[in-house]
Amino acid sequence: MTPDNGGYMVAAYIVVAVVTVVYAVSLAWRVRKLK
Amino acid sequence: MTRKDKALRLARTGQIVTGAALVALAGIYIRALVFTPVDRLQGPAQKILYVHAPAAVSALTAFAICGILSIVYLGLRDRRLDRAAASSAEVGVALSVAMLISGPLWGKPVWGTWWAWDARLTSTLFIFLLFVGYLIMRDSVVDPDQRARFSAVIGIMGLVLVPFIHVTVYMFRTLHPDPTLLKPSAPSMPGVMLVTLLSSFGVFFMVYVSFVIQRYALADLQELRDEEMLRDS
Amino acid sequence: MRDYVRAVWAIIAKDATVEWRTKTAFSSALVFAILVLSILYFARDRTAVSDLAVAPGALWVTFTFAAMVVLNRAFLLERENNAMEGLLLTPVPRTAIFVGKMGGNLLFVALVELVSVPLFVLFYNVSLTARLPQLILVTAMATVAFVAVGTLLSAMVVRTRFAELMLPVLLLPFLIPPVVGAVQVTVLILAGRPLSDGMGWLKLLAAFDIAFVTLAVLLFEATLDE
Repeated sequence: MTPDNGGYMVAAYIVVAVVTVVYAVSLAWRVRKLK
Repeated sequence: MTRKDKALRLARTGQIVTGAALVALAGIYIRALVFTPVDRLQGPAQKILYVHAPAAVSALTAFAICGILSIVYLGLRDRRLDRAAASSAEVGVALSVAMLISGPLWGKPVWGTWWAWDARLTSTLFIFLLFVGYLIMRDSVVDPDQRARFSAVIGIMGLVLVPFIHVTVYMFRTLHPDPTLLKPSAPSMPGVMLVTLLSSFGVFFMVYVSFVIQRYALADLQELRDEEMLRDS
Repeated sequence: MRDYVRAVWAIIAKDATVEWRTKTAFSSALVFAILVLSILYFARDRTAVSDLAVAPGALWVTFTFAAMVVLNRAFLLERENNAMEGLLLTPVPRTAIFVGKMGGNLLFVALVELVSVPLFVLFYNVSLTARLPQLILVTAMATVAFVAVGTLLSAMVVRTRFAELMLPVLLLPFLIPPVVGAVQVTVLILAGRPLSDGMGWLKLLAAFDIAFVTLAVLLFEATLDE
């Protein structure tokens, strides 16, 4: 029987997306501050 | 065009490429979550592989590139190399955060444990810590030339350290083997999964490159501002 | 060559004299050693974890902490009196300054280790007399490893804002190979097993020493302002 661990998958995918987007935003924001 | 204009232009380019990379990442997400079959043995958690492994590889590549650029900097003393090395390091740290959180989230359901002191995990954890220290150190050194030299020293030492940590933990593990860990079946992966994984590697690398471009531009702008402040004082 | 050795020795002697007058690094390190050894002795379930099981780790945590205290002091002294500038003005070759600094640190850390071992034997009730030369060998190899890296790092870090915090943060990853190796060999020694059982670890320690002492000597120049 396939284990029911989808929760972990969702959590991991969210974390990776959040980290990536937050860092992208931080870069753009820091550049804007120096304009 | 002034140096500042060039830097702003580069930042803009970086932002556009990042935008494209993030769209591609969304594509990977859809492909992995919807169009890639679920592993019967490991369950849906196995799909974490498609984001964890590429993040890990990109992070480690980032650090390796930092180390290499550091060596070249020490030889050529061109500060642009230092800016590039530092940019790669910061992006590496960001990607490492993604890697270090997604890893245990995968480990718990599949291995039964959040963390395992195996060669790979331990090496990546300590390289991450080293580069966090690297970034903190850069923050505390004011003189750009001194900062560049110190960073190069740490970058090079980090590069040499990595294989040692790997061997250390490997030897420790073969001495004290853990009960069998369910290893993800990488070689015997069906075609559709392999395609998802490989495209994800490509996309994450694109994310890495686009981040480094932006970070480099930012570093340039920061140094410009520091020089201005020095002149004005 | 003779001048080089003389320069190195002079630097070691100078540091030793200064430290002897104040004895602060040595005493702090010693207090740390007693603290760590005692706490680790008590911090376990005695029915589940034997003295022998805790012992190697306790010993090496003690040695590592002691080294950290010594390293922190090493360049602080120079910075306080701007002595480094004076040193750099002399015709002493740069690498000799580093080797001298490293030698001095090695000496102090070795002193603390020397004093910690009897305490260790006392607290943890281990029998060491037959295996002492082997313990000295592995201790020397590991100590050279972290003192080499630590001396280089402290040369940089002492000029930054958060020196006391930065040194352990930067040093930690470099401690893993030598300390893990040293602990594994210490386990063998305390268990009465032959050193040849730990050949792999000893080779690892040797390789690490060669790689990082060389690297540290070569990179020291890059830490100096010109």
